[in-house]
Amino acid sequence: MRKTLGRVIGALAVTMALLGGPWEQPAAAQGVLKIARHQDSTTLDPIFTIQNADIWVMNNMNGLLVRVNREGTDVEPDLAERWEISPDGTTYTFHLREGLKFSDGSPLTARDAKFSLERLRDQEGSVMASMFSVIKSIETPDDGTVVITLNQPSAPFLASLAMFSAAVLPEKALAAADNANAGETGDLEFGNNPVGAGAFMLEEWRRGEVLRLKKNPNYWEADRVKLDGVEWQFIPNDNTRVLKLQAGEVDAIVFIPFNRVTELQGNPDLQVHLDPSSREDHILINHDHEPLGDVRVRHALYHAIDRQAIVDAVTFGHGKVANSFVPAGAMFYNPDNPDYPYDLEKAKALLKEAGVEGLSLRFLLTAGDSVHDQIGVIVKDQLAKVGIDVELVKQEEGQQWESTVAGEYDISVNYWTNDIIDPDQKATFSVYGDDENRSYYTGYKNPEVAKLVEQGRVELDRAKREDIYRQIQEIAKRDAHWIDLYYSPFRNASRKNVQNFYQNPMGRFMLEDTSLQ
Amino acid sequence: MDRFKFVLTRPIQLIPVLLGVSVISFVLVHSIPGDPVRILLGTRATAEVIAKVRAQYGLDEPIWVQYLLFLKNLAQGEFGRSIIYKTPVLDLVGTRISPTVFLLVYGVLLSVAIALPLAVVSAARRGSWADHAIRLYSTVGLGLPTFWLGIVLLIVFSLRLGLFPVSGWGQGFLGHLHHLFLPALSIAIALSPILIRNLRASLIAEMDSDHVIAARSRGVPQARIFARHVLPHALIPTVTLLGVNIGWLIGGTVVVEQVFSVPGLGSLMVSSIFARDYLVIQAITLAFAAAVIMTNFLVDIAIVALDPRIAL
Repeated sequence: MRKTLGRVIGALAVTMALLGGPWEQPAAAQGVLKIARHQDSTTLDPIFTIQNADIWVMNNMNGLLVRVNREGTDVEPDLAERWEISPDGTTYTFHLREGLKFSDGSPLTARDAKFSLERLRDQEGSVMASMFSVIKSIETPDDGTVVITLNQPSAPFLASLAMFSAAVLPEKALAAADNANAGETGDLEFGNNPVGAGAFMLEEWRRGEVLRLKKNPNYWEADRVKLDGVEWQFIPNDNTRVLKLQAGEVDAIVFIPFNRVTELQGNPDLQVHLDPSSREDHILINHDHEPLGDVRVRHALYHAIDRQAIVDAVTFGHGKVANSFVPAGAMFYNPDNPDYPYDLEKAKALLKEAGVEGLSLRFLLTAGDSVHDQIGVIVKDQLAKVGIDVELVKQEEGQQWESTVAGEYDISVNYWTNDIIDPDQKATFSVYGDDENRSYYTGYKNPEVAKLVEQGRVELDRAKREDIYRQIQEIAKRDAHWIDLYYSPFRNASRKNVQNFYQNPMGRFMLEDTSLQ
Repeated sequence: MDRFKFVLTRPIQLIPVLLGVSVISFVLVHSIPGDPVRILLGTRATAEVIAKVRAQYGLDEPIWVQYLLFLKNLAQGEFGRSIIYKTPVLDLVGTRISPTVFLLVYGVLLSVAIALPLAVVSAARRGSWADHAIRLYSTVGLGLPTFWLGIVLLIVFSLRLGLFPVSGWGQGFLGHLHHLFLPALSIAIALSPILIRNLRASLIAEMDSDHVIAARSRGVPQARIFARHVLPHALIPTVTLLGVNIGWLIGGTVVVEQVFSVPGLGSLMVSSIFARDYLVIQAITLAFAAAVIMTNFLVDIAIVALDPRIAL
């Protein structure tokens, strides 16, 4: 009996020792950067998605006519080496670089750019189509020239072209995907086998596990790319992702929880990257639910919420109180925008003036999100001090979106990151008040702001535009259209040997500059 | 019933059960609030785009029409297309099945490897310190939450000792064995206590039974008594218990796969539920249901092999 048991234990011990020993995975090929992330991609067809997990990969796979610069402040040449804009602002002429090729080696011509942009504008299910409906027609006088005519002048148009959706894709490959799969699903095939003109190309995608990219030898800036490839691993659990980095199984991870930042900063093997982002978290206010339509009540909410306390608790001091709906550091951001100080007495006085007593609010939060849990508890506690009762309503994210769109909330935590560097997109969604978005489903509408947003869209003089957007920020703030909470940086970390791992404010990882030492 | 007939007819009984499961899961999943297309396209997509994409996937039809469509496709061996990944559901599920099956078998084998010797020692040396220690283990093991245990195992064995990888499932058989050791161990730590307690009790009962005492009085060697008379009988209830627990175990892999980022069906199930990827959830539910039914079928056969007196 004893002998048998001894043997079993012995065998187990040997097995464990062996498992831990010589069968260790061989080290990755030199120069492949392994990044662990919390979401998996869904498609690599840029017109059918709006998910960051897709965008962040496609940014390094596709070429654009123009792209956002490293600092995220302006556009710079990409596939087009130069361009001219007609004086009336309605005709854009792009001159492509010589000898451009897609990752499959086929030549990239003006026809591909025309096809891609028309597809973006017209294709059924194209998510960002409305931003490109301003395109009237596209001509290609020769293989190297793209002439885009607009219905009206559009100040944000160049910035829109620098957005992931406007990638130049091969007409041939898209048409082939369509032919191979006749019917409504044809288009979807391209997203599984994409061909682009960016720094990297798809090698393998095992859904829910890993997406492997390898260097695209035909990239026009191939000399700049130092890595042989990039591996995006899908590791949804925050703790597991951090452990993987600590154990050296991956070179970098994205989206570390705020409460781990300080700890990881103290680890000599790691570097934490808090690169500035365009993310702004805010609390939506439903103006259609009385008495929230009364500006005095909204002011009272602003004064009653100690936003610095929220920033300290939630972001561990890594965020900053937001004073405008325009992200700090973004184009036309006004650092001197007026704001509401924390002032309980003023809040009480305003509520009294508005004749509001015993107010009760339904506060919509994302279930399972610890940051939302914290915000919920703090706001409930703070508003109780001015006699407002807050009911925390936690819904799973998909359901929360439905409720937000349907206007089934009083106040709701939400956030926004910019898709383009120009403030027009966010202003249109957040304060313009059109029937579709109703100022991000708040029901806020101020004709003065709406008029300014329209002016800002067509005004081509930069100084005048800046003035317009400063006014918009100020009036929207005065109206307390929503409650600006905080700006927060991206939260990434890498091993010490990773050089130049950087995410620009638009979320683009500048992997063409990244290297492994 | 004769055995041959049983082996043939039992799988046919699968069909009505699976149909029932498919109706229930279809209705349940569709009654979760939230729209898959809105989740996919976010709050910036216009209502027009959302409506068009919904129509593309047939989500604008009434639920019973959607179900009939699902059945019609199923009859042709089609599971439809994932809304999130835009690939055929069958391809998606196919690539994710192996890690889960590997993990389950690994976990069960490891559980048995732990439970068998411990139960034998515990039963043979009743009341000794070893018995108390083993019983303490089975009480503690039952109470440990898997998600917590998994993280502790990771910190100790992967981070501090560097013996095992943190996540993934590796390349080749040995790679899988290495990568899935900790996940399988956390399954085993949860499952083996149940087996130990059960096996210990039945071993003790068998050792005290008349035929064992009779054999002992005939002077049959202890080891032979144990191998021929005690263990085979004592195993029957434990094998039945193992079969019953497979359903629970499959549910458990969902948590284990999340913690260890194993690219299996469990983690796909979780992400599909969050995304309301209806047809993927449907396919995985059916796969899990079929697995539970088939395991119980195999357990029935195993019991007959252990004790030919039992009729089917």
